Amino acid sequence: MSADYAAWNRPALLDQVLHARRDGRAEVALHVPALDDPRRTVDLQQYLESLRGVVRVRVDVHARRLRITFDPRAVDLPRLLQACAACACPARPLRRECLDVPELRAANDSLKRLAVAGLFMMQAMMFALVLYLGVIDAVNASTLALFRWLEMLAAVPVIGYAAVPFFRRAWADLRAGRAGIDVPIALAVILICAASAWNTLRGHGHIWFDSASMLVFALLLGRHLELRARCRHQSVNAAASDAMPLLATRRADNGPFETVAAMELVAGDIVRVSEGSVIPADGILKSDHARLDASHQDGESRVRTAARGDAIHAGGVALDSPIELTVTRAGSQTRMMRAHQLADGAAHQRARSDSSGVGVGRFVAGVLGLAAATGVFWLWHDPTRAFDTVVAVLVVACPCAFALAMPATLTRAMTVLSRHGVIVTRPHALAALARADHAVFDKTGTLTRAHLDANNIDTFGRMTREQALQLAGALASGSSHPLSQAIVRASRGHVTANADHVEAMAGNGLRGQFRGRTVTLGRAGFANPGHDDDDALWLADDHGPLARFHLTEALRDNAHDTIRALRIQSIGIDLASGDHADRVAAVAHRVGIEHWQARQLPRDKYELVRRRQHDGHRVLVVGDGSNDAAALATADVSASIDGATDLARRHADILLGHDIGHLLLTRALARDAMRIVRQNRRWGLAWNIAAIPLAACGLVSPWLAALGMSFSSLVVVLNALRLGDPALAVEPPRHTSNMEGHTA
Amino acid sequence: MNALIILIPVTLVLIGFATGLFFWAVRHDQFQDLDTPEILPLMDEAPMTGTRYSETKEIAP
Repeated sequence: MSADYAAWNRPALLDQVLHARRDGRAEVALHVPALDDPRRTVDLQQYLESLRGVVRVRVDVHARRLRITFDPRAVDLPRLLQACAACACPARPLRRECLDVPELRAANDSLKRLAVAGLFMMQAMMFALVLYLGVIDAVNASTLALFRWLEMLAAVPVIGYAAVPFFRRAWADLRAGRAGIDVPIALAVILICAASAWNTLRGHGHIWFDSASMLVFALLLGRHLELRARCRHQSVNAAASDAMPLLATRRADNGPFETVAAMELVAGDIVRVSEGSVIPADGILKSDHARLDASHQDGESRVRTAARGDAIHAGGVALDSPIELTVTRAGSQTRMMRAHQLADGAAHQRARSDSSGVGVGRFVAGVLGLAAATGVFWLWHDPTRAFDTVVAVLVVACPCAFALAMPATLTRAMTVLSRHGVIVTRPHALAALARADHAVFDKTGTLTRAHLDANNIDTFGRMTREQALQLAGALASGSSHPLSQAIVRASRGHVTANADHVEAMAGNGLRGQFRGRTVTLGRAGFANPGHDDDDALWLADDHGPLARFHLTEALRDNAHDTIRALRIQSIGIDLASGDHADRVAAVAHRVGIEHWQARQLPRDKYELVRRRQHDGHRVLVVGDGSNDAAALATADVSASIDGATDLARRHADILLGHDIGHLLLTRALARDAMRIVRQNRRWGLAWNIAAIPLAACGLVSPWLAALGMSFSSLVVVLNALRLGDPALAVEPPRHTSNMEGHTA
Repeated sequence: MNALIILIPVTLVLIGFATGLFFWAVRHDQFQDLDTPEILPLMDEAPMTGTRYSETKEIAP
């Protein structure tokens, strides 16, 4: 392994991954799949920070990414990668471009502006309160002027810094000839502040710096909530961005093997893939035979065997032994990268049809027209009140409550869901989920998972079943691999001690120390060399095999109840799997799905979803494999479950956690949320429609308008908080067995 | 009212300090992961640091 890391010192590769900073330090982004375990994350961070030369370590858990700033004179990249591997968190460097995450910068920027707006709004309000209460009048005129100047001073950072994005966007809208929502906001803020500044300078008349600051703060808050959700989506996306290995081992012209960047490969190159490594390119197998784990690529639940001359695809994992292949397609031409492109294309198409904001232009034009008409009328009728009424109309018409309706409710919904381990990465997915009327499920990994029968364990020597389970459970407890999870579930109650130094060998199994002896757990070729590989898991120590665990495919808890509950809500259901017909039919029969399709390629699944959408359905796709990615991306709303591949996670709108029953919970909450959004929007609109005529007639003074605006926004936020936890109202089904006859 | 002459500049200094502190925290990614830290104290086992890597660990001076 160490030779592998040393390759990362090649200048050509360092060029691709290292960002040289001006202060002589270097920055690198690493992809670390093991970051889903919080304990290991903390360990890794502490360990890295203790290394000489490491300046700063930043962790993005959702993105499974580390950013390390280090001094290249004291520590080098191979040393850092070794350190990660030592913490059982194998890491892979990412391309240099990954260091720059625009969404993250935008979210940090908006957070700063929000804080400034909040802090200085409170200052402005404090000074304004003194003026409103009139306690100063009794003293003298100069103190009064002092407080007016102080209020203006407090508003300067709000207007000059926090509100700048609104001005910028409004200006961009105006130059593009659009009437965006930012135009009346910017206009109102500028007008209010200009009038207040003028009144402060001349020493009499009302000032409304507090109202302007509050307006800016409330709007920034809504924007920030939306931005944070988008940022999380981006993080989850990023986790998938580099599923392909960067390195490959290529045979030089009739010479020895050399390590090169995977993107340098061309058709005709001969590449060696060591056991447990990911295949870097599509090609023709040159070795006599190979055993591949391609479950993530084509949804097949069994290990695939290939013979010399067979085509094999990038992204699979070579098991048992090193293999050699002749490259036919590399880089962006591989089947896996084309699956990425198909999914990305579908996601892009959907993003375009997502764009809301139709009708905003007309609304804004109407408000501006009304404000202008009001101004003209009052100029003609009573010029002294013209300015006040125009400002009041703009403040009242500012659709603050309307704009907050969606983000406030969705943020509340996402908070409730995150307590159940459900992550929503695209906020508008909840709206789509509430409306979905057809569902397409994947089988392997989604409806089913690996199951270990505790009564069906072969033991060797003096080992008992309980001891075998105890050993295997201790080894597997730190691993998130679906097979390890099956072991952990089966060994619950048996494990009393922990294993140390546990290493995961990709595609093979686990090795670790338990009470002083080395124990391995994995496929036969790894844990028990010499024995023919079967579908069982073997446990062995230095002296030989200890136990053999038989694995079967079992339905996930709640899979049956979830499908039935969806059917009761009259949602049509398809089962589409890449697996064999008989296995698919068996599962379809057990969960009660009539329409099933087996041997589905990614494109078949994608087209199935398109067909359903064509029939007028709003389609929900639930899947976990890379072969589901295109279907997930094209669906109206998509969900993925624990153990899903990075590519599937990237295109899923909702990550359900470990329990497929959460789908029902999420849907119930989504429907509640949409009901509250509709209420909020009606309220916001009713408020604007009722108050605008009053403001135009000059019956509302600007400060009263600002107060009303905050009140209506407050109503929206409080209404959103009503969104309760559906799990508390209706207990979701927990176990398939004892909940028969009970529907959620 | 003489108190105002002292207290108002004090507020301004305090608020400038608070803003600076907040900016520092944002720049150092203190608000990036708000979900993980809250569950850390609830983990069953003590962190593994120090027991597993003791032989490879080198402490920066």
